[in-house]
Amino acid sequence: MLRLRVDSTSTVPPSRQLVEGVLDAIARGALEEGARLPSVRELAAEALVNPNTVAKAYRELQWLGAVRARNGSGVFVAEQGTDIAVDARRSATLEEFARAAETALRAGHTKGELQRVLREFEA
Amino acid sequence: MSGTTILKAQGLELWRGKKAVLRGFDLELTPGAVTVLLGRNGGGKSSFLRACLGLLPWRRGTLEVLGLDPRRRQRQVLEQVGYVPDVPDAYEWMKARELMRFLAPHYPSWDAAEAERCLERFHVPHDVPLAGLSRGQGALLMLAAALAPKPKLLLLDEPFAGLDAVAREEVLRALIGALGEGEERSVLCTTHDLDVAARIADRIAWLEDGRIREHGTLPEVLGATDDEELAGAPRRLAEKFLGVEMSSHA
Repeated sequence: MLRLRVDSTSTVPPSRQLVEGVLDAIARGALEEGARLPSVRELAAEALVNPNTVAKAYRELQWLGAVRARNGSGVFVAEQGTDIAVDARRSATLEEFARAAETALRAGHTKGELQRVLREFEA
Repeated sequence: MSGTTILKAQGLELWRGKKAVLRGFDLELTPGAVTVLLGRNGGGKSSFLRACLGLLPWRRGTLEVLGLDPRRRQRQVLEQVGYVPDVPDAYEWMKARELMRFLAPHYPSWDAAEAERCLERFHVPHDVPLAGLSRGQGALLMLAAALAPKPKLLLLDEPFAGLDAVAREEVLRALIGALGEGEERSVLCTTHDLDVAARIADRIAWLEDGRIREHGTLPEVLGATDDEELAGAPRRLAEKFLGVEMSSHA
């Protein structure tokens, strides 16, 4: 089950939050290829947003190729949906990481300190 | 249904006692949209909704609800419009199903199965009289009653006022479930809860000094052209309409 809650105070627009949430669920295998996504109405009630916001997110996911709408029967994770979602998540998380590193450098941390953080993951 | 006005007010002037609460009030609802009517408390939002139901007279201007004058054709208007008042206005001793049976004969389009579905979905207790329900449960019961006739127009008066966080979420979820997709249901909801407004509104109408100062899609009233810029809408609504400077934690 897709548990997504839109945070209306976030700096990420609501429909974008839903797109990322669905991509995340597909990428980590919670939604497998061929799995049916909740209906627009169901996800709207779950995420507490206007159904139009969900419809917009689904259009975006379709455009990315991660999901496919079958006429009348709903929206499903596409073949190769997992690869697409993993790729999309990868580039997004790498961007986030770069932004966080930038913020840390601006705040006065040294590159050495950041490298130490990375090295801790190796241990 | 095309061609019929959902709700249209032109030059409306409405007095309560010695005060004009609405003056030069123009508003036309977009069919199928959720319009959130924002404005300060005591600004005339409730009075407007009650005028739409033919419960309050106005002095000047015209008001059409589903193409009807609510004063001359009040019965037809009440039959076709779902209304959720800010405080439940049903008999306090009635239990959920009793209320439904009591209301059913007054609505030609009443759908008893829909009433039952709503009560189930909203988890309204069956065996407790209205007086014993929590505020949130009372609001959910009134929402179920408003939805049972499958109205084309739903008017909600501050449905989230005075609710705790859990109840607020339950009412919000129930309301969103009632919006449907592509269904021809228009909604006018008054609230001063900007988070709710940002979540459900297709359109925002801002009421100030008795008239609608601004009316447009949520991005339009926030000066945006496309939805991608719409992050943090509650904060931006507060800044724009309440003149509140919020600290941004970007």
